[in-house]
Amino acid sequence: MDEKLKDDVLVCRCEEVTVADIKEAIKQGARDVTSIKLRTRAGMGLCQGRTCEALVQQILRQEIGVNPQEAGFSTPRTPQRPVTFGTLGGENFNE
Amino acid sequence: MNKTYDVVVVGGGVIGTSCAYHLVKKGFSVALVEKDDIAKGTSSHCDGVALIVDKMPGIDAALGYASIKRFLELKEELRYDFELHQRGSLYVCETDEEMEIASKYANDLHKEGYRVSVLTPEQLQEKEPFLAKDLKGGIFSEECLGINPFKLCFAFVNEVKGKGLDVYAQTEVTNIKLNTDNAVEAVETTKGTIITKRVVNCCGCWAPEIGKMVGLNIPIEPRKGVILVSGASFPICKQKIQEFGYMVSKFGMECKRPPELEKYGVSFTIEPSAGNNVLVGSSRNFAGYGTNAEIEIINMIAKRACRFFPILKEMNCIRSYAGVRPFMEEHLPLITDVEEVPGYYIAAGHEGDGISMSPVTGQLISEIIVGEETCRDIEPFRFNRYKK
Repeated sequence: MDEKLKDDVLVCRCEEVTVADIKEAIKQGARDVTSIKLRTRAGMGLCQGRTCEALVQQILRQEIGVNPQEAGFSTPRTPQRPVTFGTLGGENFNE
Repeated sequence: MNKTYDVVVVGGGVIGTSCAYHLVKKGFSVALVEKDDIAKGTSSHCDGVALIVDKMPGIDAALGYASIKRFLELKEELRYDFELHQRGSLYVCETDEEMEIASKYANDLHKEGYRVSVLTPEQLQEKEPFLAKDLKGGIFSEECLGINPFKLCFAFVNEVKGKGLDVYAQTEVTNIKLNTDNAVEAVETTKGTIITKRVVNCCGCWAPEIGKMVGLNIPIEPRKGVILVSGASFPICKQKIQEFGYMVSKFGMECKRPPELEKYGVSFTIEPSAGNNVLVGSSRNFAGYGTNAEIEIINMIAKRACRFFPILKEMNCIRSYAGVRPFMEEHLPLITDVEEVPGYYIAAGHEGDGISMSPVTGQLISEIIVGEETCRDIEPFRFNRYKK
């Protein structure tokens, strides 16, 4: 993953975040995956960063030289994949 | 780093960034010192509303109201978009007993001049058609704002950074040096010493640590709250909706509630977010500084949410998160100087009202430091309340 991505490339499909948006967040002071997420919403959507996280790490490395360890990961949270509130509530909610 | 500033603000959450912004506006040079990054703690692990109808009548509501007014000014002042939306807010009641307490509460707020009204079950359905049909009614306030809490922090910083404000992120305060008069002289950090005569402790749950550095005992405890996020959808609610049990839980009111909910202070809340999700809460429990969202709490919140908002049964939850809130026994924050340590100030202890009260908190701190008349009576927020 060394190729430089063009500014208009979509990094996070769920929240429609581009390479340019990520670069702008870095300019504002973001230094890791979570800080990028707070500024751009990259990784906040349906897939929770499964697709974009590696790309965000790549851009962080290319732009300011942080390694993947410094870039960190998004905190893993329950549920690991989308599940209905009904199921999470643990009951058969059919009336 | 070996620099001199008029004021050092410790803590880059919503209270610290608001204080820094308002201090720069008064002409001070300010260093904002944050051990991680802006908005990395409580201010990005919370929800984002400013309400009247979750405050106690009296100073609590007055401070909340003043902040709502200030938010509307800030929308014009701050160029960074913090996603401010004017919405209403609703409290809904499950039992007649709750409805009785809620009506009295609404009446008290109304007497103080806030626009709060009591709604029948039919009026409730008109406002929010997806609410459960069997609710007993509710109370409504049109004065409610939705805010993106972390963008608000960025907005405060962005406006004055480089124009009086320097941000030192990933920088931890290790000691606060006092002179022979016990007054603030310097702030020592992992990246060097900052010379200053004034330091503002805006560390929320972590404020006690920064208090200890000058020998103060600040009685703040971390209280955890869990929130669930839905997948993006068409708008299922127009405003913040809470079950009245939230007030019961927040203020420890006398009212019968199911005991299993009381264990984790679980009560239903829902609010729309700018990303077309809804945020579903809530819980309150003391569990140290950890931010795990326990499955037991998630389960209870989801169950409670389906009871009040049945459409959620079929909707996806994509994430949970938890944050710690700076709890104080009195339900009133500290916004104060400290008599025994000249130059030491505290703005912390807002529990779940930090976002909502941040504008006025920052304004008050700047007025206290200038030494001018404050826009509100600050006596209830003073540190010397512990001496009485």
